[in-house]
Amino acid sequence: MEDEFDIASEIVKGAQDVFSTMLMIELESEDALFNKGCEIQSNLTSMIGLGGGIRGVLAIHCPATVAKAITSGFLGMEVLELDDDVKDAIGEIANMVAGNLKVAYATIAINIELAIPTSIVGESFNMSGAAKSQRIIVPLKMNGEQFWIELMYVVN
Amino acid sequence: MGKNVLLVDDSSTMRKIIGRSLRQAGIDFENIYEAADGLEALEILESKKVDIVLSDINMPNMDGISFLREKASRAAIKDIPVLMISTETGDDIIGEAKSLGAVGSIKKPFTPDKVNEILGPLL
Repeated sequence: MEDEFDIASEIVKGAQDVFSTMLMIELESEDALFNKGCEIQSNLTSMIGLGGGIRGVLAIHCPATVAKAITSGFLGMEVLELDDDVKDAIGEIANMVAGNLKVAYATIAINIELAIPTSIVGESFNMSGAAKSQRIIVPLKMNGEQFWIELMYVVN
Repeated sequence: MGKNVLLVDDSSTMRKIIGRSLRQAGIDFENIYEAADGLEALEILESKKVDIVLSDINMPNMDGISFLREKASRAAIKDIPVLMISTETGDDIIGEAKSLGAVGSIKKPFTPDKVNEILGPLL
């Protein structure tokens, strides 16, 4: 059953659920990339560690405009800088998307444990996972502006 | 006299969202107290009058399950109801929370209507 599990689709569904429920925004998705890179123009990345049935990390990479727009939607006020509120808000998005992925994995009897989200402001870094890690990048658009969800994982 | 609620979540953004959801749902609390983890929550429960607690599960320092366990051991606060608000939905962890006294759970993400539906009957 694990072979039929469409992880990219579950990530998209999980993200769309979070954005439509919490922000009343419908996300557009593009084709997912498997085990290859793409140009990611990110100013803020929030990541959450995964353990249990799979080990790895789920990350959300956002340009500053997207990160601030998400935070503004959450807080109901204009956000001007990539401050602690923005880091916290994108971390919560990562937490909820990972939570939905956890629910999806539970349907194929794989239990995932979630760590506490961590956020990084910056542009010049690369993520790399354990040897033989699988990598999925899902490009998404919020009100026409792109951001990315990346899952890097190894099945235990 | 209005009721008082304690929101326990390591995310300040999530605490603000929950507070706003309570207001949007028409649930009017006299005081909304906030704590970033179970340890802070216990301090507030020992010093303030709180009618209900809404708590996350995955938190640093003291998580929601440890918070429930510690709260249950303290006579003065053990009967204050706790509703879990978390990304956790598994029967094992929610079952453990309920066995330690949690009165229900709300899954993140949530809408104000969902908060009202589950929290309303508890007030």
